[in-house]
Formats: sequence, structure tokens, C-alpha cells
Amino acid sequence: MNDRPTMLWPAVALVCLPGWALAADLSVRVQSAAGIPLEDAIVYAVPNVPARAAQGAKYVIDQINRTFVPRVNVVQSGTAVSFPNSDNIRHSVYSFSPAKKFALKLYAGRLTDPVLFDRSGLVVLGCNIHDVMVAWLMVVDTPYFAHSDRVGIALLARLPSGDYTLHTWHAPMTEDQERSEPLHVDAGAAGVTHTVHIDVPVDPTPVSVPPP
Amino acid sequence: MINFRSLRVRMVVFLVALLGLVQITEFALTNSASYSEARGKIEDEFSVGERVFARVLRQNSERLSQAAGVLAADFAFREAVATGDTGTLESALENQGARINAKAVLYIDLKGQVIADTLGPGAAPHPFELPQLIAQARTQGGASTIDLLHHQALQLIAVPVKAPVTIGWIVVCFPLDLVLAQDLKQLTGLDVSFARESGGQWHLFATTLPATADAAVQSLLPDYAQALGTRALQMPDGQQQLRLVQLGSQAHIVAVLQRPIASAMAGFRTLRNTLLVLGFLSLAFSIAGSVMIALSITRPIERLLAAVKRIRGGDYAQRVEIARNDEIGALANGLDHMRTGIAEREQRILKLAYEDPLTQLPNRSQFAQALEQGIVRARQSRELLAIMVMDLDRFKYVNDSLGHGVGDHVLREVGARLRRMQGESGCVARLGGDEFALLVPASTIDSVIAVAKRIIAALEIPIVYEGQPLDVGTSIGIAMFPTHGENSETLVRNADIAMYVAKRSRTGWAVYEKNYDTSQQEHLSLLGELRHAVEHNELRLHYQPKVDLTSATVSACEALLRWDHPRRGVVPPAAFIPFAEHTGYIKVLTRWVLEEAVRQIAQWRGEGMELQVSVNISARDLLNRDLPDMIGALLAEHRVPASLLCLEITESGFMEDPANAITVLEQLAKVGLQLSIDDYGTGYSSLSYLMRLPAKEMKIDRSFVSRVSGNASLTSIVSSTIELGHRLGMKVVAEGVEDSAGYALLRDLGCDTAQGYYMSPPLPPADFTAWMKGRLPGNRVTDPMPPGPSPRSAPAQSVYPAVAAVPCRK
Repeated sequence: MNDRPTMLWPAVALVCLPGWALAADLSVRVQSAAGIPLEDAIVYAVPNVPARAAQGAKYVIDQINRTFVPRVNVVQSGTAVSFPNSDNIRHSVYSFSPAKKFALKLYAGRLTDPVLFDRSGLVVLGCNIHDVMVAWLMVVDTPYFAHSDRVGIALLARLPSGDYTLHTWHAPMTEDQERSEPLHVDAGAAGVTHTVHIDVPVDPTPVSVPPP
Repeated sequence: MINFRSLRVRMVVFLVALLGLVQITEFALTNSASYSEARGKIEDEFSVGERVFARVLRQNSERLSQAAGVLAADFAFREAVATGDTGTLESALENQGARINAKAVLYIDLKGQVIADTLGPGAAPHPFELPQLIAQARTQGGASTIDLLHHQALQLIAVPVKAPVTIGWIVVCFPLDLVLAQDLKQLTGLDVSFARESGGQWHLFATTLPATADAAVQSLLPDYAQALGTRALQMPDGQQQLRLVQLGSQAHIVAVLQRPIASAMAGFRTLRNTLLVLGFLSLAFSIAGSVMIALSITRPIERLLAAVKRIRGGDYAQRVEIARNDEIGALANGLDHMRTGIAEREQRILKLAYEDPLTQLPNRSQFAQALEQGIVRARQSRELLAIMVMDLDRFKYVNDSLGHGVGDHVLREVGARLRRMQGESGCVARLGGDEFALLVPASTIDSVIAVAKRIIAALEIPIVYEGQPLDVGTSIGIAMFPTHGENSETLVRNADIAMYVAKRSRTGWAVYEKNYDTSQQEHLSLLGELRHAVEHNELRLHYQPKVDLTSATVSACEALLRWDHPRRGVVPPAAFIPFAEHTGYIKVLTRWVLEEAVRQIAQWRGEGMELQVSVNISARDLLNRDLPDMIGALLAEHRVPASLLCLEITESGFMEDPANAITVLEQLAKVGLQLSIDDYGTGYSSLSYLMRLPAKEMKIDRSFVSRVSGNASLTSIVSSTIELGHRLGMKVVAEGVEDSAGYALLRDLGCDTAQGYYMSPPLPPADFTAWMKGRLPGNRVTDPMPPGPSPRSAPAQSVYPAVAAVPCRK
């Protein structure tokens, strides 16, 4: 599951490098309130000076075995995300999230057009005919974002010096529940580690009404 | 009045009480068992109803949840929600709610704010009143409850709206209304009411109960709601069982489940009534049965009792018959045997009691009865009835000399002859000994006399015993009813008296006459007076001298008994001696006479006058074997030689029982006493007996002596009697010498001694002594001179004119 984002790292880095001469790597340790390392949290730093939107960036969220792959995603606003269907059944991907509302009619294969996510915000993706399918796509106005690894470390590489707002989110938190804090990056400092504690609610299980 | 000692009543009471107890116990047990079963069944049914109620509510809730879930999952609905337009949202909610018949639908966002409410459209977002429902739905993916919302009791279902994660909640509200209550009633069989509390007031807002019952249930709720559970309630139409069930999480909404107990108990009541009827019926049958059993036992017992009463009363005719094979039958059989046995024995006893075994004639008792009956009959028919009493002459002689066998034969033969002569209505009985009695119905006394004569004639025919003819005669006394007595006792006694008269007069028969009775009557009172006389010294002995005809001296005298009765004057011996003999009192008299005589002999001896005194002895005395010893003791006591006492016995005296008499006489003679045969010539004495008697003296009866002078035939009898006496070695005494001619004749005929008024009447001892001294100094009659009264004895004679007039007895 982590393979694909890791594969993307070089591309992102390449995009960022030309604009920033001085930069520093930031390791963010994501933990639960109880101090347990959280995997697959999304950490992103939004510079106080708005960054240039990504142009022509593409992202793929596949649907394999009635599951969005990957389930937790982060893209810079302006990215076109395509939703190929690797199953032999049809899916109907939709979102009612304010950041991006869309619905793809039932389709199969890779024939759909990519969906452009041009506004930042959390988009919750579902399949209209498979309620169990859920995926999160965090659309951010920054190129600096990362997933925490198995030990809860998310590495924001080559952050140029400056002031940021550091956002930390983990599924199935709502957009409101996202943790955000100011962050100052000093290019001189190498190997800075920042620790973030977040409260992750448990995703409600499918509906089942207990007896009165 | 019920007699509890009666066997029947006791059996019936016992059986009925026992069966009644069993029935009552059985009924009580069955009743209690079926009652608790019915109550248990009610409880069970109620519990089932309650469980069904709960299940229906839950299923209802699930169904509604599912419907709400489907609603919430509708894409278009979610799309509408996603628009964020309240108006759209509200209209969508209303539309969806209408699909599932919801009363209201609310949308609540993740912050718990009511965004849209179909009951309050257009309101600003506000917090949801039941956050706990959402909280529950959040953790459990959905929730339902029953609670108040908008002042209404509602069933609320909360389900999440997912896109695809939860973006909010819809709350679907369904009413608790009569429709639901009726549905529940149909499924549970219980009356269902919904009630809620607001501001301390309970209100029954939906119920299947009739309107009249509302108030009763409602009034209870404040108390009952405090403690939920089962209660009993008395309703106007009977007792009801209630259960309050809390709906939702708070106690202000309850369901009241109830059912009338009566309807549930109806089956039990029917069973109980059936049991009661069955119980009464079986008790009635038991009572009837036990009464029948008791009767079947006691009825034969009562019959037996009746039979016993009959037998006790002497009725043996009716058989005791109870045809049964059980113990009672055996008892009846035994009783019947007893009946026949008693009857036979009674017959035998009666025969013994009323029949003379020897002659088979009725005995004295039966004769008495026959006489009583005869008297009754004669009184009714106004006829005469004759009673004959008879005894046999010379029977004692036959019996004693020839033996009892012959005597019995004679009695049997007499009985047979009498029976042959017995008339149709007559009766012949043997009264005892040789005494017989006859009852002869007759019209005249002459016919009775004719019968008596025929009887006498019949008995004069000798009775032959082993070829030997036996001669027995009879004397018959006759008394007539009603002439001679009104009752049987008098009649028998009078006939008896007449018989004695007949015997004495040797006429063979005599009809009772009144004057016979007077002497007899006197006899009765005499016994007491005689006893009094002996005890009070009213008896006297007078002495009559016996004059020796050859020497004209007096060496002996005869003692004669006198009774100076204080009222009657002098009572002659003939008036009381036969009576004394008859009653046995003669024994006492004889003893008194002997004592007095011996005492007198001793006294005279003391005065120098040695006289032999003769004392008359009764035939009865000769039967007394103690007599010789008694006389011996007397003589010894007074020191009197036996030769001075002479005992005079009449011929008939010893002829009644010669064998015994001779034995006694021989003993007396052995003692040395002089014996003299008195009244010789009057009886039937056999010369052979005369020969055997140890007598030394013979006294010729006065009937020969007093008229002997001038009578040739009497002279020759007297002469030959004197001759006979002398030949037998006896001295001969002539009694009743009344004149000088007789005196002279007797002396000439060779008679030894003379006694009579010519010489002296019997005199009291003092006069006798005086007579002896005055008349004959030296005790000597010098000449056959006329024995006139001497100057000194004359007063003595004149003193006793009455005595002189009375002929000396014996």
C-alpha cells in the first residue's frame, strides 16, 4: 500500500527543488494521544506564502477487490485524479465533500476521465453501490506533504526556511478535526523532528440498530 | 328422634362421615390444585403475552430501523443532505418519512444540531433534545428509544447518514397510538394501554380498554409506576391482572398490559363447579349406598330381634327364617334351633310341672288351673261345678305291707279307672299320695252324687296284682260351685273337709256342709291359740281313777287333757286333738302331757301315793322314733320307774302304719313302760297284729261297756273280749262304767279294772288326791257298793259339771 506513494517521492521532490535554494528535512512523529505511533497519517505543511498550484499533476486511485487503493491519499490542489476500476464489476465513485462533489456513473475499466481536484479540503470518496468502499483524498495547497510510516514518522523533505502551518490528519477524522499548528522551518537545522499528537476517532461501523 | 345407640344409625353416620370427609378432602385438594394451576396458567399466559409484547416492540423497532436505514442510504436523499439546503433537506425528509409512515423525521448533524425537523420546519439549528439517542447511535451504528418529543410519546429511530462515512443522523419518529396498541393486543391477547407522565400527572393516551376502564387504570398509575411489575386490580367488571412495562430509558412512559382474571379463571370455575356437582352426587350416592348397606345388615338383625322377642314371650310357633348364606343367616338358623329346643324343653318342663309322672294324670297345679277355668266357665254358663276330693282307704297298709311297687300299681290302676269315668269336660287329677281330685260339670247335685257313687263302685272292684286281689276303698268329699265356695281355694278346702267327714263317718262320700267348716275354721285359729296355751300353761291334766274290780282299790288312773281357754272356757280334746294331729302339733302336746304326767307321778310318789298313770299316745306319736328316748329321759329326770307310766294306743293308731308302730312299741316295752290298747272293738284291728303287740292291757270301748247291763249281745261281746284279753295275757279294762249294775256285771264277767263316772269323773290333781284320800283311805274299795260321791268329793264333782257332761275322749 505504501509502495505507490514512495514511488512518487522523486517526482514531488523534483517539482519542489528549483524554487528553493535553502531547505531542510522535517521528520514529523505522529502519535495518538496515548503516545502510540500512528501509521498512514497525512502530514502537510502549508507555507504562509501561498504556493503555486500544481499544474498537470496526475494521481491514480484504483479500485481493487471493492477497495479503493490506496485508501488514504494526499494530493496538491490542481491534481487530476483518475479512478480506474480494476474489478470485473462496475463501480460508481462519488463524493459529497464540499471540497469536491462529483459522481462517476457506473463504469468499468479505465475509461473514465480524471477528476480535477482544484480546491483544498478533505474529500471522502465512496462507491454508490458498495457502501463499504471508502477512501480519503486530502487536497492540500502545498507541495509539502507526506504519509507517516509504520513507526509513525512522516518525512517532509527539503522544506525551505519559512513559516508554515503544519497539518496532521488521520482517517477517519473529519476536516474539522484536523490538527493544525504553526511551524517555522529553519534551513540550517538539519534532521529536525517534530512530534504531533492527534485524536483519531473510530470510524463508525456499518449501521446496526440495537434493540430499544 | 334419632337413636345414636342404634347400630344402623351408627353405621350410617360413620360411613357418611367417612365418605363426606373423603369427598371434601378430595374436592379441596383438586380445587386447590386446579386453582393454583389456573393461576399459574394465567401467570404463564401473562408472561408469554408480555414476552410477545416485548418482542413485537423490538421487531417493530427493527423494522422501522431498517426502513430508516434504507431511507438514510438513499443516494438522492444523501445528495439532498449534501446540498446543505435546509428547505430541500426538510422536504426530502418529509418525503422519505411519508414513505414509511413516520410521524416526523429529523436530521441531526455530527455536532448534534437539529438541522431539519419535519414537525418544526424552518427553525434555526438547535441542539437535539435527546443527545443520548445520538450518542447510542454513534457507538452502536443506530439506536432506537421511546421518549417524548414535541410533547408526544414517540418511538424514535436514529440511523446515520453515510457519504460514505457518517455525515449526520436522521431520527425517524413513529407514534405510540391506538393502532399500535390494537396490533399488540391482537398479538398478545392482552389489553394494551400507553401512558405517560407529564408534570406529575399520568395520562393514558392510547388504550384498547373500553372508555369506562380508563379512569380506574389511570388512577392507579401514580402508585404503580413507582414499582413496575405485575399487580392485580379490581375493576368494575371483575378482577384484572396488570403489568406495567417501562418503555424507553425513562419511566415516564409505560405500557400497561392487562387481562381480566375472570376470563382466565372461567375454565377453572367450570371445572370447580363440575367437581362440586360430582362431589355432591357421589356423596349422595355414598349416603344412599351406606344406608342400604346398613339396612341390609340391621334389618335382618331387627328381624332376629323380633324373633327373640317372640320366643321370650313364649311364642315358638313362628320359624326364624332369614335366607342368607352369611353370618346372619347362620345366626338365624342357630336361633331357630334354639327356638325348637326351647319349645321342646318347655313342653317337657310343663309336662313335669303339670302332670303326675306315675299316673299321667294332671297334678295339683294343673288341677288348680283347670278348676280356675272351670269356675270361669261355670260362672258364664250359670251351671254347677262339682269338685270331688278323694283318698284311698287302707292304701298305707297296702303300700307298707306289700311294698311301694304294689302301691304304685294300685295308684296307676285307680288313675286309669278314674280316667275312664271322666266326662268330656271333666278333669281327673292326682293331688299327691293317695289323694285324687275330680272336676265334674253337673246340672244337679244328685247327678254329682251319682258320679261319686259310680266311682266308689268302680273302686270297690278289687285291683288284681300278680293274681292277688287287693281291696281298696275310697272316701269322697264333694263341694259345689257356687254353693260351697266362689273360688278354687275355698272349694278344694271344703271338698277336703267333706272328704274327712266321709272318711270319719264311713259313708263313702259326703257333700260339704257349712257346719263342717266352722270346726275347721276354729282349727285354723286354734293352732295359734294352742301354741299360746302350751306356752301360757292353759292346759291341764285331769285324772280319772281305774278301780281294781277284785280288790276295789285304785292303783292306776288315766290322765286326760283339758284346755281351760280364757275366752271359750273348757275346750274338749275332740275339738283340737285331730287338728293337732293333722298339723303335727300333736308332738308338742304329747311331750307336754308326758312331762306333766311324769311330774305328777313323781309328785304323788313324793306324797307317798304310788299310782300308775296312763297317757294317751296319738298314732302320729308312734311314727316318732325318738319317742322311747324322750320318755326314757323324762323318767330318768323325775326318777320315776317306767312301770308307773302306761301308754294307751288306739287300735287305729297303729293300724295306719303297723310295721313302724310295732317297732316303736317294742322299744317302749323294752324300756319297761306299760302299753295299753285303747278303744278296743271300734277299729278294724287284725287279731294277728293284736297278738304281736307287746301290750299288757286292753281297754274295751265305752260303746260296748256303757250299755252292757241288760243287753245280751253286748254282754257276750264284752264277755268274749275279756276272755280274749285274758287269753292273750292282758289285763282287761272297761271304760265308761256309769252305773252299779254295769260295775257288778263287769266284776262278774271277770273284768280286771273299771273306769267311769260311776266311780269318778276325771279330776284335777288336787281334787283327785282329795278323792283318793277321802273316798278310799288305804286305797281300797271295800265292797261293790254304789260309788256315790263321798262327803269330801261331792264338792269336787259339783265344781265340774261341764267336765262331767263331756265324754272322755279315748
